[in-house]
Amino acid sequence: MNQQLNDYSQAVSQYIENLPKDGGDWLVAQRSSAAERFTEIGFPNAKIEAWKYTGIEGLLKQGFETTDKLPEFPEHAVLRQFLEEPVAGRLVFVDGVYQADLSTCDTAGITVGNLRSAMAASDRAVLEVIGSLSGMGDHGFAALNLATVHDGAVIRVTSETCLEQPIELLHVATKSAEGQALRSRHLIMLETGASANLIERYVALDDAAYFNNLVCEISLAAGAKLTHQRVQLESPRAYHLSDIHLGLQADAYYHGINAAVGAAWSRTLIHNRFTAQGANCELDGLYLAGDGQLTDFHLDVDHAVPHCDSRENFRGILHGAGKAVFDGLIQVREQAQKSNAHLYNANLMLSRHAEIDTKPQLVILADDVQCSHGTTVGQLDPQAVFYLRSRGLDEQRARHLLSLGFASEVIDRFENETLRLQLADVIRQQLQS
Amino acid sequence: MMLSIKNLTANVDGKEILKGINLDIKAGEVHAIMGPNGSGKSTLAHILSGRDGYEVTGGEIHYKGQDLLSLETEERAQQGIFLAMQYPVELPGVNNMTFLRESMNAIRRSRGEEEIDAVSFMKLVREKADSVKLDQKLLKRSVNAGFSGGEKKRNEILQMVMLEPYLAILDETDSGLDIDALRTVSDGVNLLRSPERSMIVVTHYQRLLEYIEPDHVHVLSDGRIIRSGGKELALELEARGYGWLLEEAAA
Repeated sequence: MNQQLNDYSQAVSQYIENLPKDGGDWLVAQRSSAAERFTEIGFPNAKIEAWKYTGIEGLLKQGFETTDKLPEFPEHAVLRQFLEEPVAGRLVFVDGVYQADLSTCDTAGITVGNLRSAMAASDRAVLEVIGSLSGMGDHGFAALNLATVHDGAVIRVTSETCLEQPIELLHVATKSAEGQALRSRHLIMLETGASANLIERYVALDDAAYFNNLVCEISLAAGAKLTHQRVQLESPRAYHLSDIHLGLQADAYYHGINAAVGAAWSRTLIHNRFTAQGANCELDGLYLAGDGQLTDFHLDVDHAVPHCDSRENFRGILHGAGKAVFDGLIQVREQAQKSNAHLYNANLMLSRHAEIDTKPQLVILADDVQCSHGTTVGQLDPQAVFYLRSRGLDEQRARHLLSLGFASEVIDRFENETLRLQLADVIRQQLQS
Repeated sequence: MMLSIKNLTANVDGKEILKGINLDIKAGEVHAIMGPNGSGKSTLAHILSGRDGYEVTGGEIHYKGQDLLSLETEERAQQGIFLAMQYPVELPGVNNMTFLRESMNAIRRSRGEEEIDAVSFMKLVREKADSVKLDQKLLKRSVNAGFSGGEKKRNEILQMVMLEPYLAILDETDSGLDIDALRTVSDGVNLLRSPERSMIVVTHYQRLLEYIEPDHVHVLSDGRIIRSGGKELALELEARGYGWLLEEAAA
């Protein structure tokens, strides 16, 4: 392991060394600190509670490398299927590389661009925010992300702008992603009173094995409102790690709707520490895991100030030998009176070989609060299966319909109809295979 | 013959519930099965629909000439058997309209027919929902989830009129219904009456039979049919209760 860490540290130093030094601000100081942080903490292991059920041996064994290899670019026609939705702005990344010609933004009040350009142009307004919500990284992968970040999205919505159409952040993985560690860092900033709908999608054109290592910082100024629809449909051999850090100012509202369906191994952390009153954070999520899949959601909501609301509703379907981990932590600090915090996690087990490790945690130190949490792990109701069969559906179809019904409570939360239909389709396909 | 039951015996949890049922139902006939609680009425209805948890220990059931007991639940439905349930199941997240359409198409596919197209389906379901006075809004909701007792029963009848079964079994459909709902449910049933369709109406009370006039009435007690007659038998039961019949049977 130590040898492996040394190899990584050396590769990181090399990477920082090779950054273009002529012009621009390549965040060298932050990168170097993050590299030190990585050397200090290394990779997470099973002794760390948050990683107890989410092994990384398989991921490390793959030996994914950070290269600057450009993707073998797919036909535009193949990509077009992903670009049909009308949007206020769109950023497209292929194998982690920004595609300016596929990206659009001609809407007043928003700017979308990529982090690499911001670094090349020494854009202080962007660069100063990098790391402000995420820190250096709570685990080795996040530290590596900051140390060697290649590119990412930068989205800004100006004060009081209300967008009708969504902004889309699309990641496409191709076969040339094989063996690569892709690392992107996204920065979403909504100014005072702005309101937007962000679609973030991860799709694959091939079944390549790659590692998507992502950090996303989302900053909502006072009264800003963001609906964030996030769909992970990575390749079945892919590894996907997302750390999402939220910063909500007074009366800001964030609604995250998440679906994790693809990838062999995926982990999503959503972290929100309330630091201003009147903010509201709602998180919905759906995960599906079958043979050879592990999916993990970690939620960390910290009520550090009074008068904030949080609601979390996550549903999982486990089939075959699928494995899922759910860890939802809500902390309500002593001074955080009048907090509302509710957490719910439901799991549907379609097979005896599936596994779920679910851990809702509520730590409440204030006394005038409304909080609840609940977890269920269950199977399909035999009465319901019989009911459908008595109306002519065969058992398999009955089970699929009921499973989709279970998922629909979260699917229906997606505002975008295309996403809803696509998710229902993918779930149907996965359950049939 | 639509349905022929010969000397049917069945256990639930090792306990004998049906102790030799004999019943013949011709196409076009409506049979009422009455009897006190615990007599085996619902057990019989469930066995006909293929529900798990019932062990048939003897006898035969023939439906349109074939061995019914060898058919899976969905095959029975595909071949035209419909059970309107006493306690319709709630299916959270399963859209009522999707459910109806899936059912209709499953039955059509099994018969080698084309699936119904979306436009024709919508037209049909709206029209049929009106005919059973089911609020159109409930079509867009999850199946039975949060429906009142009456709405659930109307929804059962809607399924029945959509699926047009050959043999409809109504298991205590009248329980928990007010007079208005009872009338609507009965109207739905009467609408379906035809020379090629048969019905079994399982009920505890005579009340339902004021609206659905049976051709034959059978009284089930302790797992046996102890008396069969015409619709006047139901009236007699209404006037005299079950006691005299049970005493006669015991004598």
